[in-house]
Amino acid sequence: MSSTKKNSKQSILKSANRYFLHVLCSLCFYSFALSAQDSQTIDWSKAANASDIALSSEQIKTIKNKHLTAALAWHGASPWINAVSRGAEDEFKKLGIKVIAQTDAQYDPAKQVADLENISTLEPDLVLSLSIDGISTKLSYQKILAVGARLVLLSNPIPGFKHNQDYVGIVTDDMFGMGEAAAELVAQASNNAGKVGLIFHDANYFITNNRDQAFRKALARYSNIKVISEKGFVKEHETSNIAAAMLLQHPEIDTLYVSWDAAAEGVIETLRSIGRKDIKVITHDLGVNNLLDMAMNGNVYGTISDRPYDIGKTMARIAAGAEIGIQAPEFTLVPFDSVTHENIAPIWQKAFKAPLPKLLDLALKQ
Amino acid sequence: MSINQLTLNQIKGLALKREFFIYYIFLTVMLLFTITLHDSGFFSLTNFMNIVRQTAPVTIMAIGLTFALAVGHIDLSIGAVVALSALVGAILLQHVGIPLAVVGALSVGLIVGLINGLLIERLQVSSLLITLGTMGVITGVARQITNLESVPIIDQTFTALFGAGELFGVPSLLIWTVVVAAIAYIVLTKLSFGRHLLAVGGSPKAALAMGIKVTRIRLYALVISSLAAALAGLLYAGRLHGARYTLGEADLLTVIAAVAIGGTSLFGGRACIIGAILGSWLMGMINNGLILSGFSTNEQMIARGVILVIAVAIGVKELKNG
Repeated sequence: MSSTKKNSKQSILKSANRYFLHVLCSLCFYSFALSAQDSQTIDWSKAANASDIALSSEQIKTIKNKHLTAALAWHGASPWINAVSRGAEDEFKKLGIKVIAQTDAQYDPAKQVADLENISTLEPDLVLSLSIDGISTKLSYQKILAVGARLVLLSNPIPGFKHNQDYVGIVTDDMFGMGEAAAELVAQASNNAGKVGLIFHDANYFITNNRDQAFRKALARYSNIKVISEKGFVKEHETSNIAAAMLLQHPEIDTLYVSWDAAAEGVIETLRSIGRKDIKVITHDLGVNNLLDMAMNGNVYGTISDRPYDIGKTMARIAAGAEIGIQAPEFTLVPFDSVTHENIAPIWQKAFKAPLPKLLDLALKQ
Repeated sequence: MSINQLTLNQIKGLALKREFFIYYIFLTVMLLFTITLHDSGFFSLTNFMNIVRQTAPVTIMAIGLTFALAVGHIDLSIGAVVALSALVGAILLQHVGIPLAVVGALSVGLIVGLINGLLIERLQVSSLLITLGTMGVITGVARQITNLESVPIIDQTFTALFGAGELFGVPSLLIWTVVVAAIAYIVLTKLSFGRHLLAVGGSPKAALAMGIKVTRIRLYALVISSLAAALAGLLYAGRLHGARYTLGEADLLTVIAAVAIGGTSLFGGRACIIGAILGSWLMGMINNGLILSGFSTNEQMIARGVILVIAVAIGVKELKNG
């Protein structure tokens, strides 16, 4: 009898211990989540504009005499990233800086860790990079800093990294402005009285999350525009199914917002398939297929475009400036443009500093 | 033997045959969604047409992969072939007519299938490793030839033929699915080539002893698999009015799951075309039903995983019993 009592006492104690451990873990996790949230609280009013970042001819001369080297450690590869690289390379060339490495992590944090480790063996003076996952790549960035490189980040902050200590600055899109501009395009497309379907990026990603959130907030200001349905996606290829399901349940929707251009392609495909020429689509970024649809008066009404070439140029300038002691602001915002049928060609050239693709040019001339 | 003469055990044995399993799971999932989503438009012709249209390229790829699996090979390069054939078709369309562009795109499948087959057979290396390698090469080529840009298609005849067009009210994507499925079914079940495929997959040594040209049959199977992927690339290009290097990259695992649930053995010797079609429709239906149900993206992932695990577990259990 006493042994049974002892056993049950032990089992109660074990359960209590387990319970206590769970509570402790939960508290740790919660406090970690809170601290992570704090690090995301950024004072955007202190951010500089890309046009404020300039170098005098005297400063350029000093930089040239230093014979610096640079590396570009990107998260992936796309025409957008190519334009960022081109902007950075052109600026580095002007400043007499040699680009010694360029990597594409294929959106894989493990690959980016390896890329950064390889770059650190080259001991570059400057590194421009977009971190896919700040937590898993942090150590590799620290290795790069340890060999004396100066780091300029694109968009994504790295948790725990301090401005002017670990990185020179962060260059990013004006995400909030872009979200607001997308809401303005929705209002314009629907004459201030639309029924909107929102297809948003349902993953923890700094740029898209902020852009989508700014869009929601701005759209709420239009009293006659109602968001009828919201559905999230993780991968671009899912949007076709999502749009079909959304319109099956809410055929009254007249305007669709999609987080970015490539994800909107699946939505356009669905609209074509079900013959809904009346629905207008608003998105972000420039892609040939959707611009062609816009040029031919299809479903795509408008898009908000950032300026990737200028992003690269600004990053390079900030990095080089740091070498001669110029302190850059923590955040530098690169402006954006609203694109509709009327201004496709000039905005394309402004964003990419490249000629318009032949087919798009032909379509616009028709 | 008449039905009256069948014993209860024989009926039970017949009903539990591996080939029929996909029908039960398909109907069960459909019934489940029809009941739970009765007010969401799930059980409607429009929605089923959505599913068929969305899954058409995956269905064609699944049919092709069934041939490779039937001989005991796996073809991991099909996703990459989809992208490259779509890009080649879209680029050619800017310079030549539809027939030549289609031939060019399908040639990608033919060439990749031949290379895969020859490398596997000559080097006697696992198809898994060879097609993993060719997948990398093809993906690199697809990225290189367009510098990661998408290639738009403005030829409306092409997009109608391979995408959103209709013939007597039937979507062209459904017509492609039915035509390819019918050809594959006849080849696999009515022609000696189909029997040879299964014999080679079941036991290559026995097939060789029977006088079957094992190497050639395996080569043909891989060419068919790649050709089907190239056709799927054209369907994607038609649907999306353009091509990009990312097309098909997310489809490989869906296709393998669809074919396996459909009753085709991953180790050769057993193939089921109808099962592959129902398997890919099942995958599409699960996606569609979960989106309509209003689940968040994370909940959809969990539910999709659970349904697939249950489906596969029942199949494997039945296989062991059988």
